[in-house]
Amino acid sequence: MTTTLDPRRDPLTPQFADWLAELGVQPDDSAEPTALVPAGDLLRVAALLKADGFMLLDSVGLDYSQYTEKKPARFCVLHNVFHPHDHRRLFLRVYVPDSVDGSGGELPTLYPVWKSANYLEREVYDLMGVVFSGHPDLRKVLTPDDLEGHPLRKDFPVGETPTLFRDGRFLDPATFRAGMNGQSAGLSGYKGGQRRGEMNEPLPPVMPEGGPK
Amino acid sequence: MTDLRDRPITPVSLPEPTLTKPSLLHTEIMSLNVGPQHPSTHGVLRLVVDMDGEYVVKVVPHMGYLHTGFEKTFEARTYQQGVTYAPRTDYLHSFSHELAYVLSVEKLLSADLPERATTIRVILHELGRIHSHLVFFGTALMDLGAITLFFYCFREKEEVQNLFEDICGYRMNQGYFRVGGLSKDAPEGWAARVQKFVDTFDKHVDEYATMFQKNPIFLDRATGVGVISSELALDLGLTGPNLRASGVPLDQRKATPYCGYETYDFDVPTSTDGDSLARFNVRLQEFRESAKIIRQALARLKPGPVKDPNRKISLPPREELETSMEAVIHHFKLVTEGFHPPVGEVYVPTESARGEVGYYIVSDGGSMPYRVKIRAPSFVNLQALEYACVGGQFADLITVLATVDPVLGDVDR
Repeated sequence: MTTTLDPRRDPLTPQFADWLAELGVQPDDSAEPTALVPAGDLLRVAALLKADGFMLLDSVGLDYSQYTEKKPARFCVLHNVFHPHDHRRLFLRVYVPDSVDGSGGELPTLYPVWKSANYLEREVYDLMGVVFSGHPDLRKVLTPDDLEGHPLRKDFPVGETPTLFRDGRFLDPATFRAGMNGQSAGLSGYKGGQRRGEMNEPLPPVMPEGGPK
Repeated sequence: MTDLRDRPITPVSLPEPTLTKPSLLHTEIMSLNVGPQHPSTHGVLRLVVDMDGEYVVKVVPHMGYLHTGFEKTFEARTYQQGVTYAPRTDYLHSFSHELAYVLSVEKLLSADLPERATTIRVILHELGRIHSHLVFFGTALMDLGAITLFFYCFREKEEVQNLFEDICGYRMNQGYFRVGGLSKDAPEGWAARVQKFVDTFDKHVDEYATMFQKNPIFLDRATGVGVISSELALDLGLTGPNLRASGVPLDQRKATPYCGYETYDFDVPTSTDGDSLARFNVRLQEFRESAKIIRQALARLKPGPVKDPNRKISLPPREELETSMEAVIHHFKLVTEGFHPPVGEVYVPTESARGEVGYYIVSDGGSMPYRVKIRAPSFVNLQALEYACVGGQFADLITVLATVDPVLGDVDR
């Protein structure tokens, strides 16, 4: 099943290889023009690119823990830089050095080089849990303040979670669904069954205090 | 939560702390909360604005109210099912996200696209741009107090949405493109209706221009308001009309052509002013360029297939299912399991009404993507707000927010 990518465009042209050698980085085996940048070298390469006129368009956080191919580290951040005038594009692939305590690990921030790194790194931190040291305002940006964990990690539990309402009442997903398909009044207040005389549930069932069993 | 007044009151990297300007009152700093439900935010965006009298000292946007985890959802859906989710990010120019997603998957698969499918995609992509800009003009000018234009813009917006409805049945969130082509061919007479729309559209653009370009109240509110220099715009990673209004002629349709955009004749309107008026004018000229592209695309629209003939990607036609066992097997495999692209990572940049949209897709050889990262232009463009508003009056913040034109679905994904 595993086949290798047949890229429409081969980024490893001689010019591309020369350019990467000039920057002092290694090319990465990918269909997109990608350079492999060590974490300690990132700020130097970024400063060179910035002086050349590049802009930072995007930062992609990746969690390779369940990937088919073995990667040097679990987390990786790809910085998507682009030259607005001669239209060169380069992906800077930075593997995050694995941290000892199992957290996301740390990378230097690109904020001193490109201001656009502000939100982009906040997003990677929020969804992937990679810490950017030196970032001036590293807060959550998309997920709610009370959400624990980083949703785009592969080990983040996906599934139904009971919704907690402001009055302390829980909404159990299974009960809610039962209400939707007419098996009971559920929590939606649908009284179709009651009209037909099949119902003897005066109050919708609620989740016990403290969450699901 | 910490007191907002204890935070530093200027953005960290703003070159000059604006508090030293003589126009400011130097009174107590007051924090004003705008949103999350506010007409001027065009969605659910909350701004905490620190103000000195009538002057804005600092703006802190709080987003995430529309965050629904699209990127995580993509990981649990087949590639073809992902087309349903892509248009729901930017609901005003849905075809841009649909196109970017589909192009990325097609690059992964090396799919062969029939020419008619590409041409219809170009027409819809540009109609979507017109749709998005029409909503921009209507709502942005309504925020500034010019309510009349709203009705004129929404008259044409209805026409565009009728064209969308005619071709795929949906007025918004279409999900019409498929990996390897389109879900079905355009109905008979659709091209003629598009032709009729674009033929009269330039006249309507002139009509819009007369309604605000000479209006002294509008000019007072927009000229020189929220200036973003080209250096700052590049530093902030702005793309799309916001960047072009600051004098950088970057358009991915010209820079990295997709869907054969290099064969179309169109201009990239720019302005060097970088203020709110420039952002209005650039978008006004983009109307005409989009109409120009649609006219050229309609001229080269020829009858033909709209799907990749490869049965490992596209569903077989319905009538074949009754006669061919292979067709039944292909249909069953595609519907239950989907196709398996090769291992790899791809990215195809496209130009939406807001800037560069691209889907970075990582495939592990399975029938569902391993990781999908959406490059959302509104999210990055929103950073300009913190810089463009500082030092201006509060009313200018409304102008800047309207002209930066974020779509909150695109910001929060």
